[in-house]
Amino acid sequence: MEAEAVRIVLEQAFPEAVELSVEDRTGTGDHFQVTVSSPSFDGLSLLDQHRRVNDALAAPLGDGSIHELRIKTKGTT
Amino acid sequence: MKTLNEQIAEVIEKEPVALFMKGTPETIMCGNSHRALNALHAAGAPVTTVDVLPDPRIRQELSMLSGWPTIPQVFVKGELIGGADITEELLASGELKQKLDDQLGANRAQDVKAIALELA
Repeated sequence: MEAEAVRIVLEQAFPEAVELSVEDRTGTGDHFQVTVSSPSFDGLSLLDQHRRVNDALAAPLGDGSIHELRIKTKGTT
Repeated sequence: MKTLNEQIAEVIEKEPVALFMKGTPETIMCGNSHRALNALHAAGAPVTTVDVLPDPRIRQELSMLSGWPTIPQVFVKGELIGGADITEELLASGELKQKLDDQLGANRAQDVKAIALELA
């Protein structure tokens, strides 16, 4: 899976994100570092913020096309 | 014999700090499991580890219970804390140690033990 494809999925899930980046950590298309900063995270615990990202990527996580996902999230307030 | 689901639920419920990981503390099979374990050590946590690798059903049952898709998973007093990223962030912010102090007391034991689930 290309980093760009991951980014597109996340952009659709978080259209209001003020920061969104995806890095292919190993160059192998299955280890990603994603960073999302969005007002939709405001007031949510870190756990729930990460849940939203995991939910958005449930399909590629479930079928193994993403082997490792590192997540950094924050709200905007 | 208890089902896997029951055994996993029991670990989460009864162990002060449970870490579901790939491998054991002696033989860690995944960088993220290592990160989570190190963060827990750094915060002075007792840690009970469960290796998810012996059977893929362990991971499936765990994720069904927790609603969390990836390994590792850290629980404190039955509550899901998160994976390696969150555990590291909470260590850095001091919240992890605070939570452990609140839940387990400042004079808590810091033992590490590994539990092997019984597989049918």
